[in-house]
Amino acid sequence: MTSIKGTRRKGVALHAVLLVGLLLSAFPFYWAVIMSTHTSSEIFTYPPNLLPGSHFLENLRGLFDAVDFFGSMGNSLLVAGSVTFLVLLFDSLAAFVFAKFDFPGKRVLFALLMLIFMVPAQLAAIPQFVIMAKLGWIGSMTSLIVPAAANAFGIFWMRQYMTGAIHDELLDASRIDGAHFLRQYWHVALPVVRPGLAFLGIFTFMGQWNDYAWPLIALTNPDNVTLQVALSQLNGTHGTTDYGMVMTGALLALIPLLLVFAIGARQIIGDLAKGAIK
Amino acid sequence: MRLSRRGLLRAGLAGTAATTLGGLATGCAVPTGSTGRNMVLWYWDGGLGDTVVKKAKARYGDSVDLQAIKIGGYYRSKLMTTMTGRSHIPDIAGLKGEDMASYLPNADQFVDLRTLGAERYRSRYLAWKWDQGIADDGSMVGFPIDCGPVAHYYQYGVFRKAGLPYDPDDVSAELNTWEKFFTAGERLKKRIPGTYLLSDVNMVFENVVQQGDRRYVDKDRHFIGDEQHVRDAWALAVEAKRRGIVSDLVAGTPDQLSAVQDGKLPSQLNASWATNDIKSGVPRTKGRWRVAQMPVRPSNNGGSFLAVTKACREPERAFQIITWLLDAANQAQGFVDAGLFPSTPASYTLGALREPDPFFGGQITMDVFGPAAQRVEVAYNSPFDVALGQPLKDEIKNVGVLGKDPRKAWNDAMRKCRRIATHLGVSH
Amino acid sequence: MATTLRKPPVADPATAGGSRPRTGARRYWHLYAAISPFYLLFLCFGLIPVGFSLYVSLHRWDGLGSMEWAGLSQYQYLLGDSDFWTAVGNTIVIWALATFPMIFLAMVTAVMLNSAVRLKNLYRFAYFLPNVTSVVAIAIIFGSVFSTNFGLVNALLQAVGLDQVAWLNTPWGIKIAVATLMTWQWTGYNAIIFLAGLQTIPGELYEAARMDGAGPVQTFFRITLPMMRPVLLFVLVVSTVTGLQSFSEPQVLLQTTSNDSTFAGGPGHAGQTMVLYFFQQTFDNNDFGYGAAVAWGVFLVVVLFSIINWRLVQRRGED
Repeated sequence: MTSIKGTRRKGVALHAVLLVGLLLSAFPFYWAVIMSTHTSSEIFTYPPNLLPGSHFLENLRGLFDAVDFFGSMGNSLLVAGSVTFLVLLFDSLAAFVFAKFDFPGKRVLFALLMLIFMVPAQLAAIPQFVIMAKLGWIGSMTSLIVPAAANAFGIFWMRQYMTGAIHDELLDASRIDGAHFLRQYWHVALPVVRPGLAFLGIFTFMGQWNDYAWPLIALTNPDNVTLQVALSQLNGTHGTTDYGMVMTGALLALIPLLLVFAIGARQIIGDLAKGAIK
Repeated sequence: MRLSRRGLLRAGLAGTAATTLGGLATGCAVPTGSTGRNMVLWYWDGGLGDTVVKKAKARYGDSVDLQAIKIGGYYRSKLMTTMTGRSHIPDIAGLKGEDMASYLPNADQFVDLRTLGAERYRSRYLAWKWDQGIADDGSMVGFPIDCGPVAHYYQYGVFRKAGLPYDPDDVSAELNTWEKFFTAGERLKKRIPGTYLLSDVNMVFENVVQQGDRRYVDKDRHFIGDEQHVRDAWALAVEAKRRGIVSDLVAGTPDQLSAVQDGKLPSQLNASWATNDIKSGVPRTKGRWRVAQMPVRPSNNGGSFLAVTKACREPERAFQIITWLLDAANQAQGFVDAGLFPSTPASYTLGALREPDPFFGGQITMDVFGPAAQRVEVAYNSPFDVALGQPLKDEIKNVGVLGKDPRKAWNDAMRKCRRIATHLGVSH
Repeated sequence: MATTLRKPPVADPATAGGSRPRTGARRYWHLYAAISPFYLLFLCFGLIPVGFSLYVSLHRWDGLGSMEWAGLSQYQYLLGDSDFWTAVGNTIVIWALATFPMIFLAMVTAVMLNSAVRLKNLYRFAYFLPNVTSVVAIAIIFGSVFSTNFGLVNALLQAVGLDQVAWLNTPWGIKIAVATLMTWQWTGYNAIIFLAGLQTIPGELYEAARMDGAGPVQTFFRITLPMMRPVLLFVLVVSTVTGLQSFSEPQVLLQTTSNDSTFAGGPGHAGQTMVLYFFQQTFDNNDFGYGAAVAWGVFLVVVLFSIINWRLVQRRGED
């Protein structure tokens, strides 16, 4: 039985630790903000400038001159949004099956899924390009959306999450009602796995948003690229890179991500704090 | 904010279906290259002067629609993927100098520029640079963009304080052998303790190798990295370490930058484009630098080419555009736009390149880089040079940074090289 | 593989409804349909590339020209390639140095975030930042943090009376620096996973524990940890798979402005991971055939390691 004073002291200690973590986490981000307000040559002075400079608008203007920022941002939103939606749907469906049902071949199929997860992603570029070219998808957003529509990572995550989160009694109850499989998925499973879906959604969106190795190869039409591909054109060779401008672009590109995170993360803790350890 | 599942599902379905169907519908014809009036040019940021590209678009706008595309990321992997995939190949492609050795064996992927009348232009370009664009079978793959003559950058005030020659002409004349260069390094260290002439041993090793007319593998696919020219470079690098004139700082780190700024690393052997690195890396050293000729003879580091791919439908037109983009006047503009050092000696006398540079105390750096560019030795660049040079560079770095015994390092490098050579089918 | 978890109930309307069991395909078709998108996509866009790379690994190929049959010689060479095995060792050491502190810190952070009431949104937001901050900024920051004469780390070491360390110039220093960067980047991410997992634990369980007079530590080990096992297993396996395939962290931290290969991983290759080695062979050396063989080597190491990890967690689960 702790006194109120003790609880408060504990709360202060907790916040102190969390605050240290916050500073550690946020500092390089702060540094990125600082870089975006300086010219390239100011960035590399030693000792470094720790305060904002006055070149943000200049960097911004340079950025907008160099790339079609909003057009490519629209493309990125389209790709990341579509992929996130498809991944949430397909992965959670498959995960529901793997977590809560038995059927012949389940173990083998799941083992295969895990194996696929472990294949190094770097293997694929050339043959994928050939396949996409044959399908006529090169240059279009389809070449980014379709292959990413379901993934082993998400199925594995949702399966692990559902195993703990969906209680068998719930399913049993709905089964007695004669609920169809899709109804069980929609009315029983989905409502309780919101936090898990929110996590998957945030990081799928983020992964798609930041991906550029494959988009760089697949999007051959320069007027129709995603944001990261557009920004990658700013990286010059032999010390000609304008870091202030690159950093400005990188920061602006983060805004939608931060918004998605803010919305999604609310689903993760939201009003469920009742499970908290006091 | 709570999102309803049904609403999300509906919105998601609609959006996704629209995109996917749109993509499916457009995909009928697969063009190998470009079509109609389009002429697609691939390069990278800083690969060509922006003003020049803009002018070219306007100039040739009547006959072709020149689409100049800056490709980001790992340029070569994107170009190779599209070429191997045989679709959406650009008509004109920039080729980076360090990648040339890997394109040249595949000369059949490009139009032989000799068939388009390239010979007529030969005399206007640096001879060694021109030769670098030619494959073993004699076909010409790349048309010269820029080059990267290497010179000796040094801090005037520090050299003066250490009692070394400090006027660019004197530095060029007096530090003209490695022995004199190293002696100067010892003197520098003695006069101003804690000061090193160069940042690392690799700067010595690689520059000495690049000064020569041979690298690691010869035309007959034979390993020559164990021969005298490499042994000499190795011995010089080890000597630099032994005489204590190189630091153990890693280039590009804050330690190195601050040492440069404080005058503790007052000298480097670097290509013309390093001017940009120094200006942005240590802006406070403005006015303190000078350039002089490096010891023995200049070498080259970097510089790229333009090529016409086999997918191009109008090679004559493409070639016309290339030769215009890379004539002496436009190369001078490329230098102003992006610091591209011209491969056309006629540019060196143009006003734009003869501006006194306040960063170098008002020195006209072209007086050093121009003659240097014209005295570079051409070496055969084998596609296996990177693989077989790496063990040597790794091991000399181990000597310099980790203090490994040079004899053991050399033996280890040779053992690795022989193994790699056998694997790659290079004789030794 | 799935035996760590409770045996799933057979939630099939057909048997539950009391009707006679139908044949497999008809009885289970909806389950197969539900998992099919992933496998179909893999067939179309995954299997062909994987098969192609297997084919490439049996050849010599420079990526553009014609292929030359090489049989198993690429793999034979791989087995005796000391640089590859150095890379395997580096990867595992860096992975271990990064993963265990990361999981521990993430768990602590998640539990703290779960119990802190005020400023929760702010903290959550801040802990998410390392995962999205531009790599260029990260590289510059960590380069300074680990710099020999001016770095924060050495300043701290000297403050407590220790010698400074040339972090980016010594084999162990490089590994620790890379591992620190990875820990920094992924702790918040994993904390968010754990946080999502913590939400599945019913409040009544904690209530009951409190009634029994259990302290916070006991509660953590008796309720939180066992309930989190599936999520913990997920984090461990994913950290293994992604950690063993890491390359961007050492690349940004160790690349220099000199003409060095950006894939070399610093002096003595001390920070060269398996995937960096793959890049070096494929793109620096233009050896696509050997690169493909290296990629398959990476794959086998990852599989082997994941199985070991899985078994370890599973065994502990059965105790």
